[in-house]
Formats: sequence, structure tokens, C-alpha cells
Amino acid sequence: MDSSAYVSLKDVVFSRSGRRIFDGVSLEIPRGKITAIMGPSGTGKTTLLRLIGGQLRPDSGSIEVDGHQVPALRRKQLYALREKMGMLFQSGALFTDLSVFENVAFPLRVHTDLPEDMIRDIVLMKLEAVGLRGARKLMPSELSGGMTRRVALARSIALDPELIMYDEPFAGQDPIAMGVLVKLIRDLNRSMGLTSVLVSHDVPESLSICHYACIIADGKVIGAGTPDELRDHPSRQVQQFLQGQPDGPVPFHYPATDAAEDYGLMGGDS
Amino acid sequence: MAQRTTEIIVGLFMIAGLAALLVLALQVSGLSPKAAESTYTLYADFNDTGGLTPRGRVSMAGVTVGTIESIALNKNTFQARVTMSIQSDIDTIPADSSAVIRTSGLLGEQYIDISIGGDMDSLQDGDTFYSTQSAMNLERLISNFASGR
Amino acid sequence: MIARIASLGRMGLDIVSSLGRSGRFLAGVLAGVPNPATGFPLLVKQLYAVGVLSLAIVVVSGLFIGMVLGLQGYTILSDYGSEAAIGQMIALTLVRELGPVVTALLFAGRAGSALTAEIGLMKATEQLSSMEMMGVDPLRRVIAPRLWAGFVAMPVLAVIFSVVGIWGGMLVGVDWLGVFEGSFWGNMQSSVDFVDDVMNGVIKSIVFGFVCAWIAVYQGYDCVPTSAGISSATTKTVVYSSLAVLGLDFVLTAVMFGNF
Repeated sequence: MDSSAYVSLKDVVFSRSGRRIFDGVSLEIPRGKITAIMGPSGTGKTTLLRLIGGQLRPDSGSIEVDGHQVPALRRKQLYALREKMGMLFQSGALFTDLSVFENVAFPLRVHTDLPEDMIRDIVLMKLEAVGLRGARKLMPSELSGGMTRRVALARSIALDPELIMYDEPFAGQDPIAMGVLVKLIRDLNRSMGLTSVLVSHDVPESLSICHYACIIADGKVIGAGTPDELRDHPSRQVQQFLQGQPDGPVPFHYPATDAAEDYGLMGGDS
Repeated sequence: MAQRTTEIIVGLFMIAGLAALLVLALQVSGLSPKAAESTYTLYADFNDTGGLTPRGRVSMAGVTVGTIESIALNKNTFQARVTMSIQSDIDTIPADSSAVIRTSGLLGEQYIDISIGGDMDSLQDGDTFYSTQSAMNLERLISNFASGR
Repeated sequence: MIARIASLGRMGLDIVSSLGRSGRFLAGVLAGVPNPATGFPLLVKQLYAVGVLSLAIVVVSGLFIGMVLGLQGYTILSDYGSEAAIGQMIALTLVRELGPVVTALLFAGRAGSALTAEIGLMKATEQLSSMEMMGVDPLRRVIAPRLWAGFVAMPVLAVIFSVVGIWGGMLVGVDWLGVFEGSFWGNMQSSVDFVDDVMNGVIKSIVFGFVCAWIAVYQGYDCVPTSAGISSATTKTVVYSSLAVLGLDFVLTAVMFGNF
């Protein structure tokens, strides 16, 4: 890694309702690059983003964003830091009672005192960047899933953040919408120099755009490096995930008692 | 809906609320918009105040001229001492007037009626009525009422 | 047996912790001075949603309750030949009790459940989270205006309810059953006191408004963000609000009108 880390996690431990989700996770997200965080469903990838955003606090360990210790920040400082972050939620999370235009204008209206015509120009510029300038009068309920995400993307970059986090941007998208999103993420990173964090389990798409990837499973980082390094990773677990093999170190079966016992066929041939 | 329309409708809603409160004040509770008037205090001792309550009215010839402030037992005479405040402009109540406890209607509330005397002097602030007439005994009235209906 | 006791204990702990969370939640909502420039339009919008849109059901219920009071009161009072006291009866019943209480119950059903469902859905669709990530505190931006709107709207609705009810009672008593209008109003005016009756009723409705809005927004904010979670939160809003209103009504009545 040639650039310094924008976000760095050290030995983060986090558990929720008695279940340990992260057990000593350490990773670095380099400035100005796209980092993909991958892992099987249910490993708490979204939780990781919430930890970085300060919505959740780790049980122990340090989370540093742009030189600030996130868990130690006071409310006000945290909100100030969040103005430098954008987050694209899985569902888009557009405000359903506001039009597309107002959704994108929302962070500008709240955080700046810009005059109305300037807000209009910025919003149209951001919508143009995601190719939806023409859809500004629509309500969120009239948008398709892919368009919703693009509007949400325009909204998260409205304040020109330094860090943008994508939560499962490709989940449930048709190939065209996926292609559009891949292109957008790459363009945004290149043109604005954004530090991007991508949480996903879509291996090919993620590996195709990221500079750096890390794989999380069972509360630990099991592999990290550039896409090429990962493809040649010695760990069987990493290979199983990348190639999508149904059985391997991560078993196909959820831990259970002996099948024969469950079916009531003690000693029988199943 | 445009913000402006919403604002107007909400404004009308608030005005409706204020108007309703005004109706409750003026029409329902009979609050007169007069400012708090100046009053003076008179006392009366009764053998029995019956169901007289503070805030009850004091009237002369059916016109309300004041309110009952408090009712307390006089420990020396074992009579009830009623404190009432009378509007200052009614300052010519003859000194030999008497205070009578009456009931408005059959089941209505009790109030003090001042029956006018003939003295040339008038009662001053802090004076006590010379003669009083206690609440009428309702028992007979009720038995009549119960059987005679 | 031990398991029963343990589950009872867990229930108690759950209740206490939920009370604690709702208190902290309330403190979070009320902390910080709202910015009048951004806060006022939001408040107006919520006043429209919880106040103006509840007006129809409040007016119609008020009218019918007043009319029923008129009819029932007349039948009973005319047995004693004192049907003129009907105005007094209707006004006191409405202003002291039915106005604030029935309005609060209707409010919980009409506006409270809607608030809970709306906030619950905003939570389920990550709108609250995304707001937080944009550096906007949803407690102040989303919850506070709704809480204040309930607080302001309830007394307004309650006095409107009382006035409409009294008018309905007059319609039945005076226009239908022929009670003399002068004694209808006269009796009412001599027995209803502005401070002791009307203002106490208004204070009651302010308390109810606050409690109902608090329960509604808290249930929405605290719900499990799934469809089952939202539906159970909505039910809880209506049930808890109704119970809280009736219980508080007794306490307030005892303090205001009881002779302690």
C-alpha cells in the first residue's frame, strides 16, 4: 500500500445480544482507493460499516477514521465527522415523503446555508453524475431498484464526502443495473478521489473494481490483499468463498445432531 | 401538498382551537371578559351552612354581586364563619341587611342571598352581617319530593 | 417453578429496561434547542398530519357523544323534573372528563398508530440510519417535531371536541326535547368554572397529548424493524396509550377534583 490508511481498525471486538460478531478484526482502508470487504452472509459486514460510522460502539479495540478515534468522539464531533462520510444503504433508504430532487438536496439544506439556486445547481450536477437528472421530479416509490440506489448514491455524494461506504450495492440488481453501479463506483472514485469501502458478497464484481480486498468470516479477517493476491491465497476457506464451492471449510450443513437421530432412525440406513 | 397550503390549514386549525377555548370560556363557563374587579370582604356567621361551598355566588335580588371565599368553623361560637368578597361598586348594602342561604332550584347549588335592610349606614370592608338565616332543612323537602312525585 | 419465577424476573427486567430506554430516548429528543428556521416547517407538517387529519373523527365523535349525553341526561333528569340541569351535566362531563379522555383515545387510535407505523417503517427501510449517517440526528429531525405536534394538537382537539359535544347536547336537549334554552345555558354557566373545570380539562389533555405522542414515537423508534415488529409496535401504541390515558385520568382527577 503506497497511500496512508484513511480508516484503520485494530483488534475490534463486538458482540450483540450475546453473540460475538467480531473477534479481533484488524484492517486498514487506504486513502483514495476502493476497498472491498467480502464475506459470507451474516458475518456482520453491515455491522462493520456501522462501527466505522459510529452508529455502534465496539466492546474493545480502536476504530480510527481520518485520525479520529470514532468510539471516543462526542456526539457533536461524531456528527461533524459524519458530514465527511457518505453511506449507500442496501435499500437506498430514500426519504419516501420527498421527491428525488429533495432527497438529494436534503443534506445540503441541513448542513449548508447555500442559496436556493446554488442548491439546485449542485443537486442537478449530482443527479447528472448518476444519470438521473431527468428523474428529479419523481417520488421514490416510482423508481426501480437500480434507480433508487443511484439516487441514494447522488444523495450520499451531495456534500462531497471523503469516504463513501457502499452496503451491498449489487445485491438484487439485474446485470445492466449492476454494470451501471460498477461504472459509477469506479468513476466516482477516480474523479473525486473518494476513499471507497464496498461491502459485498458478489465476488466477481467486487474484485473487478477494488484495489484492495479483505475477506471476513467467523468474526475474523481470513484473507486480505489485492485481488490478484487473494486469487492465489493459500487458505482453503478463502478459495472456497471466492470460487463459491458449496462445501469445504465452511460446511454445507448447519451444525446439527446426527441426521439419523433426528429422523428417528436410530441405527437405520439413511 | 405545498408547504404554504399546509401552513394555512394548520393555522386555521389552531384558530379553531382558540375559538373553541373562547366558547368554553365565555359561553360555557360564563366568564365575563371584565378584568379582575376590586372587591371588599364581608363576614357572616351561620348556625348551619348546609351544602354551601367556596366559589359559590352571593346575590342580591337575584343579581350576583360577589363570591364566597371560604367557610370555616368559629371555634368560640361553634358557628360557621363565611368569608365573602363583594364587588366594590356595590358599597351601599344597609348595615342591618341579613345573609340568607338559599338553594337555586330544587337540586341546584346553594348560594347566599342578601336580603336588604333599611338602615341608612352601609356595611364596610371587614364588617359582619348582623343577622343570618341558615340553610333550610332539606329533610322534609326531600320526603315530600320522594313521595309526592 | 424456578423457570416461572425466572421468566417473571426477566419480564420485570424487560419492563424496567424498556422504561429506562424510553426515558433516555425522551431526554435525547428534548435535549438541544430546536432551530426555529428548520424546525417550524417540520412542526407545521406534523401538526397537519396528527392534528388536522384527526379533526374529522374528533368532531363526529364529539357530536354524537354530546347528543347521547343530551338524550340520556334528559331521560334521567326529567324523572326529577330538573331537566334544565342538562346543560350543566353535559358541559361538566365533557369539559372535565370525556373531552380530554375520549379525544386522547381517538388520538391514540388515529394518529398514534400512524406515527408508530411511519417511524417503524422509516427504521425498517434504514431511513433513520441513513439520516444519522448524513450527520442529521433523527431524534431531533424526525421524532421531536412529531412529539411536539402531539403535545400541541391534543388540547386543541380536546377543546374542539368539548365545544362540538356541548353543541350536540344542545341540539338534542333544546331543539329536540324542548328544554328552555335560557336555563340550559344559565345552569351551565353558573356551575362551570373556567379555571377549575375548563383549564383543568385543558391541562389533562396536554398531559395526555404528551404521553400519547411519547408512547407512539417511542414504540416506532424502538420497534423490531420487520413487518411483524411494526405491527406489534402499532398494537402496543394503541394499548399502552389507552391504558396510560385512563390511568392518568384517574390520578389527575383525584389531584384536581378530589378533596385530599
